[in-house]
Amino acid sequence: MNSRYPGSLADRLQPLFSRVERPSRYLGGEWNAPDIPVESTSVVFAYPDVYEIGMSNLGLAILAEVVNAIDGASAERAYSPWLDMESEMRREGLPLFSLETKRPVASADIFGISIPHELTFTNVINLIDLAGLPIRASDRTDGPIVVGGGCGVANPEPLAACFDLFVLGEAEEVIGSLVETVRRAKSEGWDRMRLLEEAAHLSGVYRPDDYLPEYADDGTLKAVIPQRGAASSVAKNLVDLDQWLYPRRPVVPFCEAVHDRLNVELFRGCTRGCRFCQAGMIYRPVRERTAGEVVKLVDELAQSTGYDEVSLCSLSSTDYSRIADVTSRVAQICEQRRMVMSLPSLRMDANSAELASRLDRGGRGGLTFAPEAGSERLRKVINKQISESDMTEAVLCSVRAGRRRIKLYFMIGLPTETDEDVAGISKLVFRLRDAVRAEKLTPPSFNISVSTFVPKPHTPFQWCPQITREEITRKQDILKSTLRARSINLSWHDSEMSTVEGLLARGDRRLGPMVEKCWEAGARFDSWSDHFDFARWMSAAAATGIEPDFYLRRQRQPGEVLPWDHLDFGVDKAFLLAEYDKAIQAASTLDCREAECAGCGVCERLGVAPLLKGSDS
Amino acid sequence: MGAPVGALRLRVQFAKQGQARFLSHSEFSRTLMISARRAGLPLEYAGAKMARMKISLSPPLPIGITSDGELVDFNLTGYVPAAEACALLEKAMPEGITPVRCRLMGADTKPVGRVIDTAVFTATFPASVGGGELADAVERFCEMSTLPYERVQPRRTRTVDIRGGVHDLQVLSAGAEGRVSLKMTVDDGIAGTIKPWEVVEVVAGLAGISREVWQEAEVNRAGLFARRGDRLVSPMDIGARRSGAAGGPRGVRY
Repeated sequence: MNSRYPGSLADRLQPLFSRVERPSRYLGGEWNAPDIPVESTSVVFAYPDVYEIGMSNLGLAILAEVVNAIDGASAERAYSPWLDMESEMRREGLPLFSLETKRPVASADIFGISIPHELTFTNVINLIDLAGLPIRASDRTDGPIVVGGGCGVANPEPLAACFDLFVLGEAEEVIGSLVETVRRAKSEGWDRMRLLEEAAHLSGVYRPDDYLPEYADDGTLKAVIPQRGAASSVAKNLVDLDQWLYPRRPVVPFCEAVHDRLNVELFRGCTRGCRFCQAGMIYRPVRERTAGEVVKLVDELAQSTGYDEVSLCSLSSTDYSRIADVTSRVAQICEQRRMVMSLPSLRMDANSAELASRLDRGGRGGLTFAPEAGSERLRKVINKQISESDMTEAVLCSVRAGRRRIKLYFMIGLPTETDEDVAGISKLVFRLRDAVRAEKLTPPSFNISVSTFVPKPHTPFQWCPQITREEITRKQDILKSTLRARSINLSWHDSEMSTVEGLLARGDRRLGPMVEKCWEAGARFDSWSDHFDFARWMSAAAATGIEPDFYLRRQRQPGEVLPWDHLDFGVDKAFLLAEYDKAIQAASTLDCREAECAGCGVCERLGVAPLLKGSDS
Repeated sequence: MGAPVGALRLRVQFAKQGQARFLSHSEFSRTLMISARRAGLPLEYAGAKMARMKISLSPPLPIGITSDGELVDFNLTGYVPAAEACALLEKAMPEGITPVRCRLMGADTKPVGRVIDTAVFTATFPASVGGGELADAVERFCEMSTLPYERVQPRRTRTVDIRGGVHDLQVLSAGAEGRVSLKMTVDDGIAGTIKPWEVVEVVAGLAGISREVWQEAEVNRAGLFARRGDRLVSPMDIGARRSGAAGGPRGVRY
């Protein structure tokens, strides 16, 4: 078992597999797992959650494909070991290992960690520690350079001390340059400092050590001062999807992953302009893959994986410029191969529901939509441009097509929200049910999922306070008392988890010691409700002098320096502020694909344009 | 794989060795289904949409135990020679799972999961365990008419008669590596299940072998059978399709 690799821990790990839950998480050797050359520039991509979740991450699979295509370079995978495995590994003195060769991660040249969201921060620190590396970058004198990426780098400041570098935006291109830089460093004998200095000059690479925050007496950020001649800000990277590799032979896990299907990316970016949505702001502009390429990928990947389901994914799949055409061509492939097609992220309108129903004739499954808010006014505040008649049509269309379940996502705690808006969620659901009854149809079961709004960096709501835990509970109680019917199931997010998420989302470097303290106190898998411990977070905050309300409850002033202002994701701060003003006035901003330019600034700042290539051959 | 010839059943015997022994029953089943799709076999599905592949599996094998004889039935919609199916599956399987034998069965053959009632396991002990002490323990075990064993499961604990479920128990002489083995023929499948580790635990207890030592034993499922009186019959030999395996109608493949 991988013992041909010098330093492989395979033989020492084997006895552990009999003692832990789900040993398949740690085996490697799945279908299409790459064969790793013994001598190469080695990159380990790690995901700070358990294997079944990490394996569904498309970003890491794409980057691994890019690195493995570089001559003399190899990419391996690592995931957070579950608690039983971690305790066995620590007891036996075994470090974090890669799945492919079972070599210690510390022996790699680059240790890339995806940061998907704030509640994985303690797992990120745990990965670095389990690898046997000092958790603070300033204490590391050798070993791999630790690089962060993913959505979480929209504001990585609470973890700034742990990372040597962050990559902002899409890393397909820059990862190759980073591998090349490491290779040069090894061949020319550079020291670690020189390597990091050179790497920091690469496009989209942010070296936190090059930026020094200064705080005012009132605790707000006064300035972030670039050091050693660093630029005043770091701009994100963007790629043209058709120009870059896509995993042609994706690794197929032995166990069921959370997204247990073939994923083909239709496009990146979304300009619908929902004001709460961080992804919609930081992944701009829209860049589509050509329809022909999408169809070709589905056919190839279906053969190489053996999956029986394909998902055409994006932030809003029905916005793809030739969605009807591409889905009908993919449907033919599915027919031949006995596969089903799914379209996640549907807009809640009749066209989307009709399309989904056409794809799955006679489907008895459910459809999921995200109206987000219960009242028309609040939907205008968040720029979710769906009318109630759109929603009614979507539900009627789904029911007529035989759907028995409709899942609806809502949020509470949105800016300007009143109790009437919260109660509006219940009223809306009942009106949708009644509309179905009025057509003499059997109403579907409605699964209503209510999450708590957490203001995120780089969005128009980045200045807003977050509602308190007590408010969250009170608003949830309104729904619990009003949304009562046999065919309606209500679920909601834990208010304490939303509070910690909010604290970290807009945190600065002063939160770093708090996260470390919490990890030292045993925090792991904070995004798993049964492992999340709010009291542990609060005592870590108290022990490190953090006042959570300063980050959670404070209305930031328009001129205030924000901890992520020096990280340029393309959207102008002035545009975000204008959008915030429009939100307060409940005014809409149209999608630039359908109307004139909204002036977000991405195209000008990054020298790009939307690529609506769906119609290209 | 030619013109439809009505439903057929492809019965496959797999070896599950190496790191594949750490796959759970549901993971193994998923592995077989994905591999069968990758192999391009003409598989039969139940239901029109979100179809489920029609397969039947042998009784679950506990995690960590290797096997020479896991059995699976795939329902087919078209003919494919058994040898060809075997080659296609071998190419599509991940490391550690190898098709040993394939055989075409008639559609009316009972699914393999409803045939198996007996399994033969071997447990090979570390070299520190002597054959003599084990032989005495086996003799004492066999002399008993009943032997209550407390089976602790996540949701309930119950007492089973472990002796009643063990049909044969032998000590195999030390092999080349000087390690002694226990060969057991036990209920496994439709008649109930005695787990090999339970027998190992009880016999080791009678022999005075410590838990740390017997837990190091390597257990292998050597075969799965249907009992016919005193005889053990391999499901691979029950209800085979005579003409199909030998050739059958051939037409356009795939």
